[in-house]
Amino acid sequence: MAAGPYNYSYIFKYIIIGDMGVGKSCLLHQFTEKKFMADCPHTIGVEFGTRIIEVSGQKIKLQIWDTAGQERFRAVTRSYYRGAAGALMVYDITRRSTYNHLSSWLTDARNLTNPNTVIFLIGNKCDLEAQRDVTYEEAKQFADENGLLFLEASAKTGENVEEAFLDTARKIYQNIQDGSLDLNAAESGVQHKPSSPRGTQLSNDQPTNKEGCAC
Amino acid sequence: MNDSGARSAMPQVSEGLGRAMSPQRRPFWKRNAPKVPGRSVQASPVRENLKDQKPRKTLSFQDFEDNTSDAWDDAEDEIIALSEAKLSFENLLPASVNHGKTASNHQASLPQRSKETTAENTVPDFPSQSSPGKSDEMSNISRQKGVGPGVGIRQQSTPEDVTPPVLPPVPTPPTFPTSEDTAESGDWTLTPSEGRPNPPSRLSRQLGRACSDDKSLTEREGAKLKKVNEFIAGPNTDLDGLKKMVWSGVPREARPTVWKLLSNYLPANVERRSMMLERKREEYFRFVDQYYPSRTQELHVETWRQIHIDIPRTNPLIPLFQQKVIQEIYERVLFIWAIRHPASGYVQGINDLVTPFFVVFLSEYTDLDVITEDFDASQNLDEKALCSIEADCFWCLSKLLDGIQDNYTFAQPGIQLKVNALRELVKRIDAPLHAHLEAHMVEYLQFAFRWMNNLLMRELPLRCTIRLWDTYLAEPQGFSTFHLYVCAAFLIRWRKDLLRKGDFQGLMLHLQNLPTIHWGDDEVNLILAEAYRLKYMFADAPNHLNQKKNT
Repeated sequence: MAAGPYNYSYIFKYIIIGDMGVGKSCLLHQFTEKKFMADCPHTIGVEFGTRIIEVSGQKIKLQIWDTAGQERFRAVTRSYYRGAAGALMVYDITRRSTYNHLSSWLTDARNLTNPNTVIFLIGNKCDLEAQRDVTYEEAKQFADENGLLFLEASAKTGENVEEAFLDTARKIYQNIQDGSLDLNAAESGVQHKPSSPRGTQLSNDQPTNKEGCAC
Repeated sequence: MNDSGARSAMPQVSEGLGRAMSPQRRPFWKRNAPKVPGRSVQASPVRENLKDQKPRKTLSFQDFEDNTSDAWDDAEDEIIALSEAKLSFENLLPASVNHGKTASNHQASLPQRSKETTAENTVPDFPSQSSPGKSDEMSNISRQKGVGPGVGIRQQSTPEDVTPPVLPPVPTPPTFPTSEDTAESGDWTLTPSEGRPNPPSRLSRQLGRACSDDKSLTEREGAKLKKVNEFIAGPNTDLDGLKKMVWSGVPREARPTVWKLLSNYLPANVERRSMMLERKREEYFRFVDQYYPSRTQELHVETWRQIHIDIPRTNPLIPLFQQKVIQEIYERVLFIWAIRHPASGYVQGINDLVTPFFVVFLSEYTDLDVITEDFDASQNLDEKALCSIEADCFWCLSKLLDGIQDNYTFAQPGIQLKVNALRELVKRIDAPLHAHLEAHMVEYLQFAFRWMNNLLMRELPLRCTIRLWDTYLAEPQGFSTFHLYVCAAFLIRWRKDLLRKGDFQGLMLHLQNLPTIHWGDDEVNLILAEAYRLKYMFADAPNHLNQKKNT
């Protein structure tokens, strides 16, 4: 647990979406714990993870919501899209059906997040080259056509996992810097922390944070 | 938590609870008549007395029961007006739903709440299908009083009304703030000793039982097993009596039979049992023959694939469940259930619910603790045993799910409503904790969704879930309404840790990884005791509210 309240200057909110069994929770676990969790039980509703990273010398706390992939949970998981600064959209390179569903995930992401939300496409399980069912090229083309960042990664080996999370943060940070992301806008998914070490209950002062949940 | 003392007193607690639970066990109430409060229907004057005085009226349990029955009668008109047909179904729903449906004349005061608390697509659009088997059971329940403890919670739950009128606000939250009507809550909660009153220790004190050494514990366990076996032996098992006996836990040896009886799977009549089991097992395997081949058809292939992906991820840390023969049992049970219940279909979490049944029914065939010890199913069990276990799991799972099916239908209205009810409940019984969670933007749905969807199985070790289910099976609406109270008690169990966490991250991570790994029966018993106290406190509240409205 991070000790001081202000050992970071921003909070970015992420959401991880994609079909069941593509490895969303394992990616999160690999990113936050640097470990592969082989026996990861399926996610119910949403689960939360957090890690502090550094981008351009700024400490950024990522608050990551890992969502359940099953259709039945969408009513619940949809409420987490709003207020996400970054969306990691995951498919499994060994299962074409998970790739084919991307357009539906993308529609959700586009409709439910704000226009500035950075969407990053991750083709997971790239360690299983022998079982590959989706080529890098076609996924790359899909990503380009839809303006998505894209990498193939492996939650098992850790390959490109850091990069995916960090590149998303860099892009968000860049959007802040060039003014295209308005920090004051509701549901920007970004909170700026004043550098003064005063007031531990900053979240109280951030009414825009309220949208995290539908209940 | 000031429960350390209580924990050491736990051996009596379960016993005491069993007694407290059993309304017809009059000696307990009689014996404690001066101390154990009854509910007075004409209780409004109590409010004036509440501050510094316990209810003077000496009430036996019979008085209490009579009075509450009266209270129920008053409110019944309203419900009956809505139609008998609805009645049995509504009792399937969490109490708060119940309210929404029955007290439609109060809707005017509710819409904002329902809007803010449920997503648009979760407006209680309740499935109209009625699963076979639930009607009998449920209409029985519907005739019991006190079926809607949550009703009152919703009805008068605007924060403005609930400023505790009489109590020191912190840190003794668990009072029923608008408690003008609850004489017993006065007694239970208005004598806060230190911090939160501790029902188990109070109970055991009241019972005046002080034997807690292991020997007497074992003796009592033995005596309990004997009594339970007498119930089981028939010729007609008294199910109500059995429920009272096992509310505080079923002895391991008797558990398979007791669970099947309390699931209304095994008939009360001893002579019919073996025939019935045979018939049901045959029926199940007819389903398998009939439906299982369809798993590759386009209509069902998606369901099948989901189940197939989930099974290896079910109980991943217990080697037993990595065995192929057992995974195949799960796949069949879940697939057959799913396609026979298209309104919900297979929802992740249901797979977990097979496990307690499986482990318990397996224990009929082995003395090993299959959770912790290596057990090779294909070597130690013959085909017939495996088939029996499988069929029994299917039927008992079906019975369980009949009572909570709206947890798994579209948009999961049952869960949404229970999470809201949990929020309202905690707001009332532990305002500081509730305020702390709110202040840090922690939403109940963020952590309690899973508590409802998986019946706390992700939060508790399997052995604790099994103990919990002893009580759920013995409680009316154990897996639905009572579970809500258990969740409230469970959350409050962590209040100290939670209040210490000063940020959203800390709270969420703690709530997602509650340290229950070393929990055993004692800890579960404490939670159950508190849950029972809450249920007791809030039961019948709607009637009092209605009276207030009417007069």
